Amino acid sequence: MNAHQTQSGRLSQVLWYLPVLLILAFFTFPLIWIVMTALKPPIDVFAYPPKFVFTPTLDNYRRVLASDYMDSLGHSVIIALVSAAFSVVLGTLTAYGFSRYPLRGKDNLFFWILSLRMLPVIAVIVPYFLLFQRVGLTDTLVAMMLVYAVFNISFTVWLLKGFFDEVPREMEEAAKMDGYGPWGVFTRVALPLVIPGIATAIVFNVVQSINEFLLAFVLTQRKATTAPIALLNFLTPMGLDWGGISAAASMLVTPVIILAIIVRKHLIRGMSFGQLE
Amino acid sequence: MATLKLELLNLIYGGQGTPSTHAVRDVDLVVGDGEFCVFLGPSGCGKTSTLRMIAGLETPTSGVVRLDGRVINDLYPGERDIAMVFQSYALYPHLTVRGHLELPLKAQRVPKVERERRVNEIADLLQIADLLEARPRQLSGGQAQRTAIGRALIRQPRLFLLDEPLTNLDARLRLETRAALKRLQNELSITTIYVTHDQEEALSLADTIVVMNDGRVQQVATPHELYGHPVNRFVAGFIGTPPMNFVAATIHPSANGQVDESSLALVTTGFILPLSAQGTAASDVRGRSGLVPGAALTLGVRPEDLIVGPLAGGDGPRGRVVVVEPQGDERIISVALTGGDAAQTVWKVRAPKRGPGVNVAVGDAVGLTVRPRGLRLFDKETEERVL
Repeated sequence: MNAHQTQSGRLSQVLWYLPVLLILAFFTFPLIWIVMTALKPPIDVFAYPPKFVFTPTLDNYRRVLASDYMDSLGHSVIIALVSAAFSVVLGTLTAYGFSRYPLRGKDNLFFWILSLRMLPVIAVIVPYFLLFQRVGLTDTLVAMMLVYAVFNISFTVWLLKGFFDEVPREMEEAAKMDGYGPWGVFTRVALPLVIPGIATAIVFNVVQSINEFLLAFVLTQRKATTAPIALLNFLTPMGLDWGGISAAASMLVTPVIILAIIVRKHLIRGMSFGQLE
Repeated sequence: MATLKLELLNLIYGGQGTPSTHAVRDVDLVVGDGEFCVFLGPSGCGKTSTLRMIAGLETPTSGVVRLDGRVINDLYPGERDIAMVFQSYALYPHLTVRGHLELPLKAQRVPKVERERRVNEIADLLQIADLLEARPRQLSGGQAQRTAIGRALIRQPRLFLLDEPLTNLDARLRLETRAALKRLQNELSITTIYVTHDQEEALSLADTIVVMNDGRVQQVATPHELYGHPVNRFVAGFIGTPPMNFVAATIHPSANGQVDESSLALVTTGFILPLSAQGTAASDVRGRSGLVPGAALTLGVRPEDLIVGPLAGGDGPRGRVVVVEPQGDERIISVALTGGDAAQTVWKVRAPKRGPGVNVAVGDAVGLTVRPRGLRLFDKETEERVL
């Protein structure tokens, strides 16, 4: 009887997980495919029908690790982290201001900030290029950090304002009564309560910057190339180096995965627009 | 230890295009040192707004808030040395009970050893010593409330404000906490202002009750005075359960057109009450403004000042029993008055379990007698009490 019960319990558990597994497979398949391609010897890459069983090799990774691509990957990570920090710090303060303080034309201003996000990137590439050329910032990491921070700040503000709006006013008032000034209220009460939002914003910022191609393509040439641009180097006159490009691409995903693992506890609450209990 | 003085305090919300609300009007009030003062009134009467102005969370449109003689209008809430307990308790999900208690001390930069001593002291006082490491979501309603009170009291403020602190507790816990609060306030003898819409809470806790309505202070009095001598119809109707019974009435001009002691009578459209028979001496009546024959008045009688009896002859109030609600040791009998316009009115009578009105049942025709000195008269226009 007992055994039977456990068995049926296990069965229903499997049935519950089945759809989850299907969805997971659908979304992770491209990633798995890339990693598999990276691990295949050149001859197996073009095998048709595709081979799922093969002798893995680390040749592709070795080649990529020895190449210039690693510099670009480093650029990408540094640019992403610094621009995310910049955007999240400024965005948090701005969002708090929008959420808590009266401001004339607040709604219009707030919409204007979001509308920056609606601008097609291609429309600003030439102005940016000319601007950076004039101040001597073309092909520098600083330029890319600034551009990405500016692009992501609007989303950060928008996201975090929602989180700050959910912080009950009475909690802040209680801190005021306890003897804290505006900065104390912000750091002791408001900020700890929106950590899930901040985690979400950081991940979003980093993903956006690491993925970005168009701006980096125009605004960097050699010294500051980012990983997505460097991937083009695997497009050689001798043909497309599928193994190399797959290994490089899979390495580009790693920083994001590491970041997501670090903040995953907060991320889940953040993504579900974490109700404060 | 402090005396609070409010001088002509006004608060107007909104304005500049949006419709404005005059939430608090000309509030003039003194709360003495160590006093337990309760602001009582229906929701939206301005009691919480007044409290928030005292706390500094709201800026008065005009008027002065003084604490021990010093004007504190322009001080930041944290600089006023006033503590407040919020209706929602406003506990932070990211802090433990200890964290909550320490927070006000950290703001004052109290050294760690001293901080620890005071946290333990207040935790013992409020019986939350074994919960110091718990987080708000692990606390029951009563525990959360005590944590909120502890956070407010730990820095020994000069003034202690409570905004409907018992609303979120269940009925039994509310009674317990009420008693505990009263004891605590007595022990600490800290000047306290307590906001509530629950008259029972107000009557049982307060040294002084401030009844507010429509942004104005209606009456400031002890609970006893408030019940016995309400200044106007609003206070009379707000204090007491069930509320006071009202009906429109006029003073009957006597046969010779004089205010004559023997013939002085109160006439409603449904019944006539000879005032002298109610133990009201005509000398009480004479000389009071508003008490002239023919003046439009409102008559009020508390349910406990009415006696249900068998229907008798004469012009006294009478009616038909519509509802009988047993209440343990007493019953509340609803009587629909008969005769004239008063027929629209249902009066409630509190009848002891033993005594007159024991046997009444729904549908019975009954007569009502007013106990001596049970009558209240209010000017119909100004609603001020005239008798």
